[in-house]
Amino acid sequence: MMEALYPFLSDQRSEVDTLAQVAESTREKIRDAIALRDRVFEADSARLADCAEAMAERFARGGRLLAFGNGGSSTDAQDLASLFVSAAHPLPAIGLTNDIAVITALSNDVGFDVVFSRQIATFGRTGDIAVGLSTSGSSANLGPAFAEARRRGLLTVGFAGGDGGAMAASRDIDHLFVVPSSSVHRIQETQTTLYHVLWELTLELL
Amino acid sequence: MGKAPATDRSDRFYELSRRRAVPLEELAGHAEEIARVCLRMAERFRAGGKLVVFGNGGPSTDAQHVAVEFVHPVIVGKRALPAVSLTSDVATLTGVAVREGFAETFAHQVRCLGEPSDIALGLSADGECENVLRGLAVARERGLLTVALAGGGGGRLEADHVLATASTDPLVVKEIHVTAYHLLWELTHVFLEGAV
Repeated sequence: MMEALYPFLSDQRSEVDTLAQVAESTREKIRDAIALRDRVFEADSARLADCAEAMAERFARGGRLLAFGNGGSSTDAQDLASLFVSAAHPLPAIGLTNDIAVITALSNDVGFDVVFSRQIATFGRTGDIAVGLSTSGSSANLGPAFAEARRRGLLTVGFAGGDGGAMAASRDIDHLFVVPSSSVHRIQETQTTLYHVLWELTLELL
Repeated sequence: MGKAPATDRSDRFYELSRRRAVPLEELAGHAEEIARVCLRMAERFRAGGKLVVFGNGGPSTDAQHVAVEFVHPVIVGKRALPAVSLTSDVATLTGVAVREGFAETFAHQVRCLGEPSDIALGLSADGECENVLRGLAVARERGLLTVALAGGGGGRLEADHVLATASTDPLVVKEIHVTAYHLLWELTHVFLEGAV
């Protein structure tokens, strides 16, 4: 009766209801995010420590890190490279998505599938480290990049999600970390934690 | 560079895990505030506004991540929403920095690109970045909805909504921010679609 007379009352009530439901779903997603990290740490801690050791050995001998990914993962690649370059004892690292001129030139003249492999062929030296990130594990330009890195003797590190996609089947990746989730967002958040931990463990060894 | 014993390693990873879980639980405590921010953001987008995002260092990559999140949704069927990262325009950024000083970079860009119906989102790991503070201040003057993601308890950041974590570890702060802006994107769409 009141709501028929004052429709805004029901609008306000539905806004309050919606806010409460959205808040509850927010808490649930955060609980998922915490549980997923714990599961991945449980499964991968020994492999993360091994990977950090391999990376530290490369850096110690003058190796550099080349990082790449698409979309949100491109920003993770840039972040990871910048973390090494900005460390208290800076280490050489390059984000392969930083140069838009190079990315658009390669895409326009050759194709998007080669934007990372061509840069690895140009910059990569034996003893360097290639780190590729993909939430699906199946980005078309990552396969050729890991293959090129392997050919040139780089240490290869991959981050994937879900079932690992094409990266799980690749023989070109020395250290692969797969975040088992169906949510792109939760995968990306956990990958961020993983490469942060890898960075921290690597620096501790140097 | 010998291998650490397994028990040391498991203690270490327990510590690495707790360092994240505690601030994530803290973020869950802000669930109501996050929901309210998204309701306000949805209103702005509905009125034709765009999202303008900025931050320094690591958070500059987050600014770009937020922009691509809104412009090219990962979930098929979600509307593309206009968002720009002020850190992608290196020409303007370095140009303003050399002429007016680095503290003026984002303020200059907000003054030029920001419209009153827009949303300004500033990120700062310690809440003390001068150019983020100034960018948000100019955005507020111009009537933009202002939102800040910060670490270190929020530092000196001022905005309509400040979502701050108490953590002072910039790596952990970043991880909390990634989850926070993924939620901002997802829940803004919930309100835009008018259904939960």
